[in-house]
Amino acid sequence: MKKLLLSLFVIVSILTANWVAAAADLEVNTPAIAALKASMQARHGQLSPFYSAGAIGLTKDGMIAVKDATAVPLSQRGSLSGLVSAENADRANLYKEIATANGHAEWQGDIQNTFAGRWIDKAQSGWFYQSGGGWAKK
Amino acid sequence: MLRLAVFASLLVLMQSASAISSLHITADSVTHDTATAQQLELMVDLASTTVTAKAVHIQYQTIEARNANILLDYRALNNQNQHNQSQPSLTLNTDLKQNTDTSWAKTQMYCLLPKNLATESWDCSNGKFTAQRINLPFSLSVLPQTKGFIANINLQNANFSDEAGLHAAEKLNGHLTLVAKQEGDTLNFNSALNWQTGEVFWQPLYFANGGHELQMQGNLKGDIITLDNATLKLDKVGDLNFSGKINTKNYTLYKLDADLPSLNLTEAYPLLFKPFLGKTMLNDAELNGKAALNIHVVDSQLKTFKIKLEDVNIDDKNHKFAFYNVNADIPWSYDDATKVSFSYNNGQLLNMPLGRTNIGAEVNRYSLVSPSITLPILDGTFKLSDISAARINDNWYWHLRAELTPVSMPDASRAFKLPIMQGKASAEIPLVTYSGGILTTDGEIVLNVFDGKATVTQLTLQNPLSDAPRLSADMNLRNLDMGSLTRTFSFGAIEGKLDGDVQDLEMLNWKPIKMDAKLQSSDGKYLKKISQRAVENISSLGGAGAAAAVQRSVLRFFNEFNYEKMGLSCILRNNICEMSGIESTPGGYVIVKGSGIPAITVLGYNKTVGWGELVDRVKHVIDGNTKLIVK
Repeated sequence: MKKLLLSLFVIVSILTANWVAAAADLEVNTPAIAALKASMQARHGQLSPFYSAGAIGLTKDGMIAVKDATAVPLSQRGSLSGLVSAENADRANLYKEIATANGHAEWQGDIQNTFAGRWIDKAQSGWFYQSGGGWAKK
Repeated sequence: MLRLAVFASLLVLMQSASAISSLHITADSVTHDTATAQQLELMVDLASTTVTAKAVHIQYQTIEARNANILLDYRALNNQNQHNQSQPSLTLNTDLKQNTDTSWAKTQMYCLLPKNLATESWDCSNGKFTAQRINLPFSLSVLPQTKGFIANINLQNANFSDEAGLHAAEKLNGHLTLVAKQEGDTLNFNSALNWQTGEVFWQPLYFANGGHELQMQGNLKGDIITLDNATLKLDKVGDLNFSGKINTKNYTLYKLDADLPSLNLTEAYPLLFKPFLGKTMLNDAELNGKAALNIHVVDSQLKTFKIKLEDVNIDDKNHKFAFYNVNADIPWSYDDATKVSFSYNNGQLLNMPLGRTNIGAEVNRYSLVSPSITLPILDGTFKLSDISAARINDNWYWHLRAELTPVSMPDASRAFKLPIMQGKASAEIPLVTYSGGILTTDGEIVLNVFDGKATVTQLTLQNPLSDAPRLSADMNLRNLDMGSLTRTFSFGAIEGKLDGDVQDLEMLNWKPIKMDAKLQSSDGKYLKKISQRAVENISSLGGAGAAAAVQRSVLRFFNEFNYEKMGLSCILRNNICEMSGIESTPGGYVIVKGSGIPAITVLGYNKTVGWGELVDRVKHVIDGNTKLIVK
């Protein structure tokens, strides 16, 4: 009986989770989302060499982090951390805005998790991403 | 004090019956004060006059050493040495680490010992301290003094970095002189650090090169450091003189007096300010001029400061603002009210030229009041009155009243890079409030333009100087002279008067994203004429159908037509404009309704049009491009 209840619970949770993912429109566009995407797009050119050098990587919660600042010359390290914090601020806002645009602010966490997987899938080979307790190279 | 903890074995090897030529002592453990050495070996070779001491492990307070080797070489004294040295020497080799570290650092040092160890200089060259990510070659000389010493340390081509790479240096050359003397429970010191060359990144600061000096004179008593006199000289930037008293355990700042008499802002801005400005509006500017700063802190509380700016120029690289020849005298005191003054010769804010301005205000701890500020803008003035601002919990709150005296529109249009408009504009802004990054106005902003009146109500502006300023407002236009309006925008002549209502206008980054807009000819009797070109242009705004509906034969015969009424509206949502006119027709709407002879009626058929496309159509019309975009 206990086992049956547990399996029921698991099935219900899986169904609910899928329902959230299925119902959320991740491609929804609002001016706020467009502005965030434009800002991230503009920054990407500066971040790209840092991804390739292994200085930064994609975290499992849909953000980015400094993985190894020593891969970057001293003169660029200041801008590196500035870029990372600016990118993370934009990403956090993006997840919030997509959830809001979907009319479900409480979906922000799920949307963030879905994006985390997407960023890693879309990452170029040679980039680093968080896997388990450490970093893995794609 | 020496205590042999477990046992010591003394082994005396006799090489000849008459003399002891070498002595070999081993100990499992030796403790002296807080130091403990394990598996100690001491070898005295009397034949070659060398002493070798080895320990497998040494613990002293929080520092551990392993594989320690000390070689005392006294062969110089009987001219037996191989290094041609004239002095006895000491060679030290050991692995070192803090208790909490996981990896070991290697230290090696070679010192020449003076004849009198207590009064003459010990010179150590070829010193090396290496660990993972650390390589510090150094030389050291120590001159013993009564209850103290004078040390000189030279770093040569040193590199270091923490694991994250956020505190690191490369190719560092520097010199440290340290004079220390113990008097009772007080350690007096005088130190001079000279950073000659090499780059350093100390998050978030980056120094591309050396040339900087730090001199400090003071004392250490228990946990308290007192600096009587200290100077930090930053090359090309300025000299900071400071003194103070701080507890090194809990960082309580009992006292700090700092004085920076002349700061070169051109150098200081990228080096010291920009790394801390992050995403603020000041983070991408060019700055030059001189500043002076003075600070007094007592018992961790900022008591007074004084900032002076001398002929400073600030120029935002994104052209959002610029202020030239800024002079400021900003004293502040925790206890007393102060008078501050701030002036600039000229500048611009969001492309609006600013004339010479003097601002005076009274500052009382965290609030500021000023009865009035007059900002010359073009040929008018922007008068601010009843100004009050306060900083509460790290946020600014302020309010003021404003009035713009007539500004000539031709100048304003040139400044904003708009088509040249005629006449004068003036405005009255009853009360502006800024709170939590949002600027709001109460009442009506009235602009007098094109011989009519534009009224803006419900205006709020969020993050005005950010990348994404957001504006919302309602706007009414009444009796604007269409003659001067159409001439300004080369739209083709229309005689008449225009009313407009824009409700729920929302703009992001100065682009409309939502509105209910309606433009139409004003009620009342006045001359109502529309030119052939204006008809064609209006038609093109309504789309392909509209252009076709115009009777071309009629257009060819007349240059001007009479109209009764005209109007066009747009409900903008999600980048789509839903258009309508003054009346509906089956399948379309009326934009211009004719009257008398010759009369003309213009119909529109595009009920929805992309906002971008509509803007393109208007642009082409205004640019006088006869090849209209009609999709």
